[in-house]
Amino acid sequence: MQWGDSDVTLLADILTILLNGLQQGAIYVLLAVGLSIILGTLKFVNFAHGALYLVGAYLGLFITGQVPLNNGQLAEWGIQSYGIGLGFVAALVIVPIVVFVIGLLMERFIAQAFYDRPDTDQILVTFGLAIIVQELLRALLGGSSQPFPQPSWASGPIALPVVGNFPRWRLGVIAITAVLVLGVYALVEYTDFGLIVQAGTLDGEMVRLLGIKLSRPYLVVFGIGAALAGVAGVVGGPLANVNPNIGTEQLVPAFLTVVIGGVGKIEGAVVAGLMLGTLQVLLIQTGYAAWSQVGIYALAAVILLVRPQGLLGSEVDVS
Amino acid sequence: MSDEPGDATATAAADTDTEVTGGFADRWASFRDREISTVLLTVVGVAVFPFLFNNFLNGYTQLATLMLIYGIFAVGFDILLGYTGLLSFGHAVFFGGAAYAAGIFSASVSSSPLLVLLAGTAFAVLMAWIVGFLSLRRGGIYFAILTLTFGQMSFYLAASPLAFLTNGENGFTSVDIGSLLGVIDIHGGVPFPLTMLVDNMLYVFVAVMTVLSVAMANRILHSPYGTVFRAIRENERRAEFVGLDVWRYKLMAFIISAAFAGIAGSLFTIEGNYVPLQSLYWTESGRVVIMTVLGGVGSLFGPLFGAGLYLYIENIVSGFETLGPFWHLILGIVFVVAVVLFPNGIWGGIDYVRDMVVGGEDE
Repeated sequence: MQWGDSDVTLLADILTILLNGLQQGAIYVLLAVGLSIILGTLKFVNFAHGALYLVGAYLGLFITGQVPLNNGQLAEWGIQSYGIGLGFVAALVIVPIVVFVIGLLMERFIAQAFYDRPDTDQILVTFGLAIIVQELLRALLGGSSQPFPQPSWASGPIALPVVGNFPRWRLGVIAITAVLVLGVYALVEYTDFGLIVQAGTLDGEMVRLLGIKLSRPYLVVFGIGAALAGVAGVVGGPLANVNPNIGTEQLVPAFLTVVIGGVGKIEGAVVAGLMLGTLQVLLIQTGYAAWSQVGIYALAAVILLVRPQGLLGSEVDVS
Repeated sequence: MSDEPGDATATAAADTDTEVTGGFADRWASFRDREISTVLLTVVGVAVFPFLFNNFLNGYTQLATLMLIYGIFAVGFDILLGYTGLLSFGHAVFFGGAAYAAGIFSASVSSSPLLVLLAGTAFAVLMAWIVGFLSLRRGGIYFAILTLTFGQMSFYLAASPLAFLTNGENGFTSVDIGSLLGVIDIHGGVPFPLTMLVDNMLYVFVAVMTVLSVAMANRILHSPYGTVFRAIRENERRAEFVGLDVWRYKLMAFIISAAFAGIAGSLFTIEGNYVPLQSLYWTESGRVVIMTVLGGVGSLFGPLFGAGLYLYIENIVSGFETLGPFWHLILGIVFVVAVVLFPNGIWGGIDYVRDMVVGGEDE
């Protein structure tokens, strides 16, 4: 059988959809993995996870270049621009470290006081925190959208076999996400630290009885989760403009990814994120753009109703 | 309704109410605890509110109207959050959904305000039945996330696939509200004796609905049915063991609270003659959560107070010279402080201070 032109076009279409879906899903995955390990290990519901993404994006802007200030309080105080212009790679390294520290502070001073309080209180306090972060940024830097420049070494298209030209940065997003997620997976699966965290997730009481202090591993887990959200802000920034609303916009799909994949499961978050991303891209590229957002929520609703514990979740541990 | 507790507790409470023995404080306490007095207090409150608000707090009647509308929304939300212990992040579906239903109904079926109100509320109840039925299969955070999911789904549905009905991102503009009962112009002035208190009919209409809503909420919460809600909040498993059909009561609490959201949403359309798409976004659900928690969960007047405070900060404080630009930030900080330090909100804080001063008893 000969390959006709239409077959090649179809194959190219499918591959494009898959690649774009991977890229779209990658941001969901980065956010969801952090959210999921915090929820699974510490049983803490973090509605401020989107705010960490937001902080990551703005911090990335600050480190990467010079951003002019047109409105907001800082502009009124006479500051015309902000930024230290170290470039994108510096942002990729510094942002996770800073947000990691923010995560540690958050765990110590906020989350800890709420471990013993009901889920609803955790949701409420982190929801309030998210508002504070978002509105502080809006008040200081103004509400307008800022373009986040793509790193020069990854801008422009790259010629791929079959698919043709494809934006280089989108491949970068996929690659960075893959490296980070594999790193966290290896940390949890193959190190002593990961072993303690896993044991603590299963039965924290028992681990403590064995004489292992859980407070420090938990602290680190929270930090890693936060750092992933921060790095997602840097990686996702160049895909769209940065404004104070992007945190709340990303939070809901991230939560969906977590619960679809199964709470605490890194593999689950990956599968669910890629599924949502691919579905969204599929609907857009086949002419159903209007339904693309509705589609991911509908898929989420169906999965949660049919399989409440999520795709890879083991059992229902929530009443 | 065989599985409801008998009227024993209610009659016992009534007995203690009637034993008025001592001085003014006791008399006041017994007056306060009676249901009719709650309603009377609400009537007096909404009657003098615009006068006080406009003259002493830099307010204006339109904002007072909006405060009552969101007050109804929050009172209903508190039946779910404060009394039954379920946190929904999807109540924008019922508020915004009712607003759209009311708007579309007014444009294409009837412009009578009462019918519009009825249509919007009915739509909210119907939606609540479906969303509640599906979301209540899971508890805790899953419930919050499922309601959030359905909320976002309806937002995006209204945004583009259903844009031919909702007018998409521009919001629904062809609202057509006629006169009340065919004679009273709802956006007009008021007849003489009322002019001393308020300046437009719309406020009177919304105020009447507020009083009815508060009376209804009060009746529900003081009935055996409401006692079951509290039992579920305190200990779901124990309520189950007593033989109550917990799931059914939760669904009813969800639907009842959505009915209030529906009344508020319909009034919102009648008030503004416009339905913004934003009224379905999840931040709208977040607004009512903040209002309720800020005012005080588990109290009848707390949420009304919270709604008023929220809108006051949003509309009046935002105009202040130095604080203005930071209004939303201030709101966030106040909210977090309330969650951390005063789980019963500002109303609960007032109660606490009063009990310290007067030496009241614990409930």
